[in-house]
Amino acid sequence: MKKEMIRIENLKKSFGDLEVLKEVNLNVQESEVVVLIGASGSGKSTLLRCINFLEIKNGGRIVIEGEEIDPKTHNLNEVRQRVGMVFQHFNLFPHKTVLENVMEAPLKVKNQNKSDAEQEAKALLGKVGLSDKADVYPAKLSGGQKQRVAIARALAMKPDIMLFDEPTSALDPELVGEVLATMKELAQEGMTMVVVTHEMGFAKEVADEVVYMHDGQIWERGKPEELFDAPKEERTKDFLSSIL
Amino acid sequence: MFDLAHILDVLVESYPLFMKGLWVTLQLTFVSVLIGTVIGLIFALFKISGIKVLNWIANIYIALIRGTPLIVQIFIFYFGLAELGISAFWSAAFGLAMHNGAYIAEIFRGSIQSVDKGQMEAGRSLGMTYGLAMRRIILPQAFKRALPPLGNQFIIGLKDSSLASFIALNELFSIATTQGSRTFDEMTYLIIVGLYYLILVLLFTLLVNLLEKKLSAGE
Repeated sequence: MKKEMIRIENLKKSFGDLEVLKEVNLNVQESEVVVLIGASGSGKSTLLRCINFLEIKNGGRIVIEGEEIDPKTHNLNEVRQRVGMVFQHFNLFPHKTVLENVMEAPLKVKNQNKSDAEQEAKALLGKVGLSDKADVYPAKLSGGQKQRVAIARALAMKPDIMLFDEPTSALDPELVGEVLATMKELAQEGMTMVVVTHEMGFAKEVADEVVYMHDGQIWERGKPEELFDAPKEERTKDFLSSIL
Repeated sequence: MFDLAHILDVLVESYPLFMKGLWVTLQLTFVSVLIGTVIGLIFALFKISGIKVLNWIANIYIALIRGTPLIVQIFIFYFGLAELGISAFWSAAFGLAMHNGAYIAEIFRGSIQSVDKGQMEAGRSLGMTYGLAMRRIILPQAFKRALPPLGNQFIIGLKDSSLASFIALNELFSIATTQGSRTFDEMTYLIIVGLYYLILVLLFTLLVNLLEKKLSAGE
């Protein structure tokens, strides 16, 4: 039986009076790719950010790799090292070169020695197809290249789980493919992934499970072919017909 | 009244004296700006910390400094610190540093807050502590943005150091006033000392511009 990487029980999150997540439950097994879909404001990004503790839950349980994480008592920095995150707007460090972006956390968080960190960073840049950009500053890259560097940067910490928060939403259409290809490759290597996206093609092809969120709740979930081809809920049908 | 030949004569003749004053002014400015930058950074971090007590301390400090004349602050430091056996130079330096610090705190606070929130999140998501992300990711970017207003504040600090003449420190301005009253030729000496300040400010502006260019290389 596969290891359970993420278990979320009755997760609640509010911003002021606004209830963004209402008792959400979610399980992610090892090497599984779960894609979260839903309209903006449905809570999918907040859910993702709660898994990484960039937002702190108001209620419920978050279990990462079998260990319940309590933000008050756990060292969240340690947890975040195991849970990589890729952002919509890349958030590369503009004052560092591509290589330095990838090396920064291994050097300063893991205290890895410089030659090892550099070697690994170069290997990761090779993996995302950007070996020739190592010494360039992020401002010189296209959006697709930036996002691939951001993926390499997250992978440099050797996370067990990768979270993607709308990784292609800020990209020009012609640049989406290269980022999705990198993510697909990662999925095929067995990375556990939770992906918030509007790319239904990617969801159909790569996801093990697709989760449709609406109004802070998980409305429907299932294998991609079930959810896309035979959604049970009216809302899901409406949402899918509005975007396809 | 405006006899250029005379001014040049006095300029050449008074050059060794003014060099001594210039040296004091430079030391005073350097020390007070340096300490002021450290103070400014600390209080800026207090202000953005989200910790109420630290916030209050920073706000009170900035309100006190901004709400009172610099000359009053210098005298308070002078008389206060003289009792502890601290020299006029160091009490002027501390007074100016505390003064500059309040303004620099606001400059740093603004520039830190202008860095995109995603930068801190990216750092934290990689497992960095708040302090590490602040030091490695946020502050280098904030410092770059702070440079133009910081340079401006340094120039103000340089000119403000002339107020140290009131506590009998022999810096540039006090050389001009003592020489002026000794020779009854105040205007000439005031013009000369004005020139010294002008040249210092121009040189300093050049330096800041060079630094700005260097820091923005690559981006």
